[in-house]
Amino acid sequence: MKKIKSILIANRGEIAIRISETAKKMGIKTYGIKTSKEPGAYYLQFMDKIIDFTEIVSDIPEFLDIDRIIYAAKEYDIDAVHPGYGYLAENPYFAQKCNDEKIIFIGPSPDSIYKLGNKTIAKQLAASHKVPLLQGSNGNIRDYKHAKQLAQKIGYPVILKAASGGGGRGMRIVEKESDIEKMFRMAQNEAEKAFADPSVFMEKYVRNPRHIEFQILADHHDNIIHLGERECSIQRKHQKLIEESPSVALNEELRAKMGKSAIDIAKASNYRNAGTVEFLLDESGNFYFMEMNTRIQVEHPVTEMVTGYDLVEWQIRIAQDETLTIRQEDVKLKGWAIECRINAEDVQAGFTPYLGTIEKISYSKGKTCRFDSGITEGSNVTASFDSMLAKLICYGETREKAITNTLTALNKLQIQGIKTTIPFCKAVLNHHKFKSGDISTSFIAKDMKKLYYQEEDEEMIAAFWAALNYNVELETEDQTYVDYEKGKNMTPWLMNKRLKSL
Amino acid sequence: MFSKSKKGKQKFIACTEKNKKFEFINPKELYIKRGKENIPIEIVSDKQGFVYIVWKKRKYQVEIIEKNQNQYEILVNGVSYSISVESPFSYKRRKYLAKNKEQSKVERIQAPMPGKIVEFLVEKDQVVKEGEPLLILEAMKMQNEIVSNIQGKINKINFNPEDTVMKDDILIEVER
Repeated sequence: MKKIKSILIANRGEIAIRISETAKKMGIKTYGIKTSKEPGAYYLQFMDKIIDFTEIVSDIPEFLDIDRIIYAAKEYDIDAVHPGYGYLAENPYFAQKCNDEKIIFIGPSPDSIYKLGNKTIAKQLAASHKVPLLQGSNGNIRDYKHAKQLAQKIGYPVILKAASGGGGRGMRIVEKESDIEKMFRMAQNEAEKAFADPSVFMEKYVRNPRHIEFQILADHHDNIIHLGERECSIQRKHQKLIEESPSVALNEELRAKMGKSAIDIAKASNYRNAGTVEFLLDESGNFYFMEMNTRIQVEHPVTEMVTGYDLVEWQIRIAQDETLTIRQEDVKLKGWAIECRINAEDVQAGFTPYLGTIEKISYSKGKTCRFDSGITEGSNVTASFDSMLAKLICYGETREKAITNTLTALNKLQIQGIKTTIPFCKAVLNHHKFKSGDISTSFIAKDMKKLYYQEEDEEMIAAFWAALNYNVELETEDQTYVDYEKGKNMTPWLMNKRLKSL
Repeated sequence: MFSKSKKGKQKFIACTEKNKKFEFINPKELYIKRGKENIPIEIVSDKQGFVYIVWKKRKYQVEIIEKNQNQYEILVNGVSYSISVESPFSYKRRKYLAKNKEQSKVERIQAPMPGKIVEFLVEKDQVVKEGEPLLILEAMKMQNEIVSNIQGKINKINFNPEDTVMKDDILIEVER
């Protein structure tokens, strides 16, 4: 395979910038896509060349428009396409189309994407390679005897779920055999009442599970390694919010065991390039395969920080047929890294998206602190795109130091104009249970009493600032003064000037 | 509205959403009273133009994120507070109005953000509990459940699935 000289980045925001930085370092020319929803976007400043998609009107969003992306790559004679995450990253048809058109798709083969993207096939692959899976009833339960039989096979505790249910309704956890008959009938009744369908199925219940995932790298020459784990237990409605590497829950022995399972899954699907195998880990160290993500992930920087490897660089090198020169024994997890996702969301209003314009942004960057951002001053946050704006990734020699460094960086990170998840991240990092590493996927729902961090007297300071602004506004109303900004952009200079003129 | 009293003292009452009130006499003199002591306030900004209040050696980043007449939404270190600034007179009126509002029978459920309605989970005349999801609103590729904040009966549904709504549009009316 030829060496890649140019890459079309079929994505936007922080990941487009992230990919372009590595490409630049490798001397590869980058092409970006300009869309009509975001023609002045920040990521475009990082591209060597911009392909304009604004002129053709189409119902298909630009980054999902396979034909146009392929056509653009052909038109500009671009060697390779990097899909980033989301959009076309896990679309086997797109990967196939690239192959057909002799464009290098920076990612796994269409066949691997398809197999691992299909839950049933992925679980069969796992089962046939002795990777532990969450046992379940594989369909509805006939009667309580059937339920009893299944629970014996799966092992208590089990959870009964309504087949038509969702969102946590109609679920029953059964701890022991003497409860199964009663619980089964109750679950049926509940399901009937709530969803007009009494069908119930059963799964193994994992108490306080952790989300642990393994980063995989595989080349085209049968070399395959894992780069350790990431813990992503801090999540809300299956959306990850804070990730770290390594995890407090793993020792060398468990790491080797889970790493081997991750490699087995990748081998079973003939996997190439970078990928991530996700597991649930229970309190006694049992782990269960959930799924494999066939792309670079949002949280990949924490792995980069503790291993020292550039994952996007390896994606590109593997795609141009280079041999993986890292051996498993070379991989050492050094220190600790934590990533905070900075989303445009109103934490105080149930994490609803917050739209607006970034008026100002300030942050610190340094040896122990990385800020992967897709925004700058003047960027618009619109309903057309995902709410994730940036990622703050901090390093420390120990977990404790990483937490301290993250908190320092969070205090220095300021965004004016919109509401973000920064106060939420501060609340997590200050939480005693997070600090001690005692976390699970139910941390936010169960352990957090308050979802945002507040300092003493903040409410009074807010009240004072409102009163002062109103005071000044009222008194300047009499004078010939027009406040075009409706009092929103009060600078101290202006404030002092007005105070003096009163 | 704010008539100056004999001594030229002007009282501002800043009320939070939960009707907690803070009183400030002549805020433009830049101090906050704590007990009997007047503790001075300083307003500073950095080279990028972020504004801070310095009080008791602590620095707070402040920002007005939304404003409508005397209603302010203030961010302090990224956390928002809804503050309405009143004079002693308008404060009395506000309290009176609030009392009447409680007797109002209809609760209007507004869109917290612009978006597209995916589906309604309730029908007209259906009885709902507090916290029960009423509809799903899609924005930023996320599906958001809009819940009822009171117990009552669905009085009116103002939109259809697939409709695009603006922020603060009244989506559903619930009768107490």
